[in-house]
Amino acid sequence: MSRPTPVSYVPAWDIWVRLFHWALVLGVGAAALTGFLGDARWTLVHVASGLTATGLVLARIVWGVFGPTHARFADFLPRPGAVIAHLSGRDRRHRGHNPLGALMVLALFAAILALAGTGLAGLGGWLRIGPLAADLGTDTGRMALDLHGGVALGVLALVALHVGGVVFESRREGENLARAMVTGRKQARPGDAPVAPARARGGLALGLVAGLGAALGLGGATLSARPAPNLPVAVTDPLTAQECGACHMVYHPSLLPAASWSDLMAGLDAHFGENAWIDAGDAAEIEAWLTAHAAETVDTAPARLFVRTDPAAPATLTETPAWERLHDDLPDGLFARAPIFTRANCAACHADAATGRFSPFAIEIPKETPK
Amino acid sequence: MTRFLALPLILAAAAVPALAQDTSPAQLRSGYEAESGAAADPAAGKAFFLAEHSGGKPETPSCVTCHTSDPRAAGQARTGKTIEPLAPAANPERLTDSAKVEKWFGRNCNSVLGRDCTAAEKANIVAWLASF
Repeated sequence: MSRPTPVSYVPAWDIWVRLFHWALVLGVGAAALTGFLGDARWTLVHVASGLTATGLVLARIVWGVFGPTHARFADFLPRPGAVIAHLSGRDRRHRGHNPLGALMVLALFAAILALAGTGLAGLGGWLRIGPLAADLGTDTGRMALDLHGGVALGVLALVALHVGGVVFESRREGENLARAMVTGRKQARPGDAPVAPARARGGLALGLVAGLGAALGLGGATLSARPAPNLPVAVTDPLTAQECGACHMVYHPSLLPAASWSDLMAGLDAHFGENAWIDAGDAAEIEAWLTAHAAETVDTAPARLFVRTDPAAPATLTETPAWERLHDDLPDGLFARAPIFTRANCAACHADAATGRFSPFAIEIPKETPK
Repeated sequence: MTRFLALPLILAAAAVPALAQDTSPAQLRSGYEAESGAAADPAAGKAFFLAEHSGGKPETPSCVTCHTSDPRAAGQARTGKTIEPLAPAANPERLTDSAKVEKWFGRNCNSVLGRDCTAAEKANIVAWLASF
């Protein structure tokens, strides 16, 4: 027989707090991995994990009002005096979050909501999709994404502080706090800070979370359905489609500035190493359509990026600094293999190339096929 | 005789926008024969098509660079795009649109040879392609 243990364990973290905590670890972890290390093809996973983390935080905020004792903000939101007392070690032991832990909870929630806001603004402004696509342009979108990256670094720092704090506090208190977030139970010790027990109102919380989810989903869908201004022309001129498409994919006019199109149409007899001469009337008609819908006329990321051309090759999309930067991590030889064959064959990997949008959600590098 | 029938046809094709399906391999052949004043030679067309030429663009030294050496097979442009077979036997739409034929002879002869093809060369190639 082992000696009876002098400590008794009591429930501290209910199952929803624990599920929330570890699901948030996964969601933030996946978003961080894909955001910091993933290429454009990871954007869908990144956005999905980011939205998941956001949903978790919103649900946790509801649970912070209607959950059981230690789930409630009322249990752990500290007054400034309590933070000072905790820092100077004069306070009693907290069975729920201690004042510094509580500040960490608030900081992480605020940062994750800020990531959601700047992420949606980035989607809307830079990629021109989602609920803010109709309201924002590429200038705002690019700023939002810069901010998003900054806040994300802040979250990394907070997570490091959080883990450090848990390790420090576990040693100081002689109780494994990480394990407590798994088992949900913590030691009850004489002299613990008094606890005001509260009953969870699960039905109400569930209803609120469901209602909030439905409202956000519906609101997001409604906002996303609004037509966004300054997007690439959707219908391709039939003559352009026929003449340009006879030899290669039909490059969207918004991918190059008007001056580049004029330059290109003036040199069709020496067109990227081939003679692509056409009737002068047709050439004029095609040039008019291309320049009328050129990069300067739209507000999309590709147009913003490719409007800066290489002065030595003003009509060569694949020589623009942005094109080279965006593709420089791809292996040598990828472009030469079937069924891609050439850097100029955008549509081989970008399913939406013809629209001029080049969404990161539409990228798929095809498997090599026999030539 | 064919010479006198074909010349106005060519002139008409040049003067008005050509309609698709406005000609046939036989009509094209006789038109180019009339223009050159010589009978087409399919064997010379084959040799010309398969030969490596100089004077054109370095990317395209020969017709077979893109079309492959078998006119019944599909070729491939340097852009990766498939080029449908040239032989009417494999692709009935070929050699039925005079404007298209002239446009592509104009472009591709300049890419490969650095000059326009002569009527005799065109007659030979058409005759060879139609012989499959």
